[in-house]
Amino acid sequence: MQISGRFIDDFKTDRKGITPPLPTILRLVPILFYCAIAITLLLSSVFLLQYRIATQKRDGHRAQSGSLETQTTNAQSERTALETQIKKAIDLQNWVSGSRPLQPLIVEISRSMGPKANIIDLAVVRDEKAPAQVALSLKIGTDSVRQLDTTLEKIALQQYRAFSPTQTLGRGELDYRATLVRQGTTQTVPADPVQ
Amino acid sequence: MNNKHIALVIVGIAIAILIQTTLWVQGLSTKMRSQAESAEAAENQANAALILEKAQVSELKRQSGDLLDFLQVWLPYFQAFETQQAAEINFTLKVKESNLLNLAQRFDVAPVVGNASISSVMRAFLTFEDDYARLLNWLGGVEKNMPTVRVSSVKLSKGSRANELRMEAVLEQPLLTK
Repeated sequence: MQISGRFIDDFKTDRKGITPPLPTILRLVPILFYCAIAITLLLSSVFLLQYRIATQKRDGHRAQSGSLETQTTNAQSERTALETQIKKAIDLQNWVSGSRPLQPLIVEISRSMGPKANIIDLAVVRDEKAPAQVALSLKIGTDSVRQLDTTLEKIALQQYRAFSPTQTLGRGELDYRATLVRQGTTQTVPADPVQ
Repeated sequence: MNNKHIALVIVGIAIAILIQTTLWVQGLSTKMRSQAESAEAAENQANAALILEKAQVSELKRQSGDLLDFLQVWLPYFQAFETQQAAEINFTLKVKESNLLNLAQRFDVAPVVGNASISSVMRAFLTFEDDYARLLNWLGGVEKNMPTVRVSSVKLSKGSRANELRMEAVLEQPLLTK
């Protein structure tokens, strides 16, 4: 049976216009391409997962840090307020410590007078800069120095200690001056409210 | 350069793009992990700062317990007279209530040095002439019932009449700093 030459390929002679094949090693390029797609998908998925986890962690830590910083700020404010209160308390305590009643001291001095003695002048003045110190100026009508000893004993009972004392006796008058400093500083709280 | 070479270059470029994409995603992930680590470090630091601050506050409270108790008790006494007028009126009332013979009274405001909480004092310069017991009872009553008042000076001398004393007293009412 005759077949038309139009339908038969010629396998023997080289066809014109066909490029030569690439080197064999380059056949790996498509394989490498598919592998690259697969590896890219796999690694990118892993990295994206890590990215999301890290984002959540970061946001969580940042939120927690914000909360902690707010608490720290509150604690700092509390400490500042506390320090202000302490400073105020120290100031008020200093005032109160320097305001111990003088009346008991004056009463004791008056009661210490014997039958042959009388107070001519008595001055008790607090030191403005050191109110715990009291300047005592006492003029007694007496002929005896013993009266002064009795008075000083009574003053000592009030827990006052005399510093830099000077005394002058003449014409039936005894002039005594000293700086009294109270010993012991036990704090007392007033029982009655201020009216 | 034929079609095959061009195709090879295109595939090569595609592979390079894939590698670059992977590296970019890895870079993002690394950067985010670094940020997370920094945030964790900052949180730890903030936590340490908070613990330290709380410890300082509680230590301060522990150390100053007595002072704070003192302030709680005494502050109302100081706050009772916040203005000069209130202090002056109070002194005047005390003098009137005493029924003592009041020869003179004068009021003056003086600054207080070295006390930040008490800016000034209202000073009352009072002169009485009366019975010894009544005078000293009044003085004692003032010092007891007005515990914040400081008696800064008392001068006693003989009065113009027998059995009477002349008392010159200077009282100070502290006025808190506003």
